[in-house]
Amino acid sequence: MWKLYLSLFLAKTVKLIINILNIGSGFTWPGHVALTIYPEILKNKRFGFPQGIVLVSGTNGKTTTTKLLTHILEYSGLRVIHNKTGANLLNGIVSEILLSMDMFGNHNSDIGVFEVDENNLPLILEYINPTVLVLLNISRDQLDRYGETDLILDGWSKCVAKLTPSTKLILDGTQSYFDGVVKDFKGEIIRFDDNLTNLKNTKLVGKFNAKNINAAVYASTLVGVEEGDARQSLSKFESAYGRGELVVYKGKRFQLFLAKNPASFNNNLESLLDGSILCDGVWVVLNDDIPDGRDVSWIYDVDPKLLEKAFYNKEVFVSGSRYLDMGVRLNYANIKILPENLSMRDTDVLTRVNTRENLLNIVVLPNYSAMLNVRQLLTGRKIL
Amino acid sequence: MKLVIGYFYPDYLNLYGDDGNVQILKYRAEKRGIEVEVVEVSTTTDISLLQPKEINLVFMGGGPDASQKDMYQDLLSNKKTFLKNYIEAGGVGLFICGSYQLLGDYYKAANGDVLEGLKIFDLYTISFGNKKPRCIGNVVCELNSASRHEPTFSHLNSIGGTLVGFENHGGRTYLGKNGTPLATIIKGHGNNSEDHTEGCIYKNVIGSYLHGPILARNPHLADYLIAKSLGVTDFGPIDDTMALDAHRLSLKL
Repeated sequence: MWKLYLSLFLAKTVKLIINILNIGSGFTWPGHVALTIYPEILKNKRFGFPQGIVLVSGTNGKTTTTKLLTHILEYSGLRVIHNKTGANLLNGIVSEILLSMDMFGNHNSDIGVFEVDENNLPLILEYINPTVLVLLNISRDQLDRYGETDLILDGWSKCVAKLTPSTKLILDGTQSYFDGVVKDFKGEIIRFDDNLTNLKNTKLVGKFNAKNINAAVYASTLVGVEEGDARQSLSKFESAYGRGELVVYKGKRFQLFLAKNPASFNNNLESLLDGSILCDGVWVVLNDDIPDGRDVSWIYDVDPKLLEKAFYNKEVFVSGSRYLDMGVRLNYANIKILPENLSMRDTDVLTRVNTRENLLNIVVLPNYSAMLNVRQLLTGRKIL
Repeated sequence: MKLVIGYFYPDYLNLYGDDGNVQILKYRAEKRGIEVEVVEVSTTTDISLLQPKEINLVFMGGGPDASQKDMYQDLLSNKKTFLKNYIEAGGVGLFICGSYQLLGDYYKAANGDVLEGLKIFDLYTISFGNKKPRCIGNVVCELNSASRHEPTFSHLNSIGGTLVGFENHGGRTYLGKNGTPLATIIKGHGNNSEDHTEGCIYKNVIGSYLHGPILARNPHLADYLIAKSLGVTDFGPIDDTMALDAHRLSLKL
């Protein structure tokens, strides 16, 4: 037990130091320190929850689905811990739980809801036996860091086979690659699809979000929420940061849609085309920082015809460390960009956008670090 | 004048953005008023219905390891003769990453399995599995001197002799004594991260590890391939300001 108390003490001290020195969000460090002295910390029974733990994994939609589920559960009166900063590796989850505890290792939450990095799911399942596991999708993302999708699916098959039937699985029933993932799983499986009924009760757009919502509603019913209550709560849901989030800046509406890989980029283009998003101008931001992957070749796997149609008749702006790569890519999809709308610096482009009086609704399509940067520019603060 | 691109296995080799090369070739030729047709060739294509002379540019990309097995069998059983005849007759081609490896003598997997190649390039590839790290990162290299001074290339070249791109490969490729490297590595791993070579060039066919895709930031190479395919030496101008700036910026990545 002393290891738990020492971990708690160190985690809280580290967090305090980070807060005092104001060195970044630093949300993974408390968990990192705790895991160093107590690697099995998640197996400690103080890390349990009366209603268990729900894990959400996949390439796209983790943050939105986790936030949706948390919203539904809180609406029905449950006290929920979730990794709201998006720190979705082992250390981030440990941080989140530890920092919610008092000095005696007690937390007063009913349930834990955590998004899990798709590559880290096998490792995390060695420590957590979830009540519900939500598997959203797997598509190409950061080949230079994660490798090919077959490797991830293979890892998932192995760890899913080891789950006990007490875990219930929720997964995308429209994706055949999940057949292989669950072939050795003995428990209950619930399959969601892109039925739009629930989506229409929210402010979210797109078929991909219909799937996220349906997954979250199913998950909530498996931990005891009435389906009617879950549906009722949806109209009050606000988008997660950078995932359809709306920010008003100097009288203009900027709506941010994370576009970090071909699948999420295409999803956003489809939403632009189906008219569910107000849009006069598009601002694409492409960085190649470590969290984004250094390789930007993926922008050519974004559907060129979809790009051309979605950007038709809209003024286009491009920034980010790889703005020229994006500019060239858009050019090859027959999209014209004024030279003055191109800059490495996000601030230059923001200034430029603000000189355009006829542009009221700007859709921002940034990849990961770009989204954090633009968001900070527009809101004047970091996440949360 | 018509550019007919034989695009091999687009349904299997579509993971690393290499499809962009075909988009770029098509765009650049059409901007010059040249008609373009893309002929997709895959496992279900009966190649005997296609004459090598009907195609004047062959492209084949890289892909996930798992899907390469199905495609590999078809390549070796059904498409080998066509490609050999096409290349030996001076046909123009670009082969990236996985397909570049398959044009060599063999590919030896980490478990010892040997996959026979088309034996067009004098080279072989070895995967060391977990014993050696994958070759991943930005690449800058200098085109070999003969290619740099090749009349069509030097006429179209507005950048210099450098090529830029991104590599991500587990296999290490070693050139034989008749294998001419496409380029010399300035930054990155290239063929094997030992001898500073990158890619291979044989007759009018180029093999390379560069993604990006390779033609995005190397418009001189794109125009060279189109010109060679059509047997012309000059084109109308095209606005390459952004691509050239992207190339220059990439030299510093």
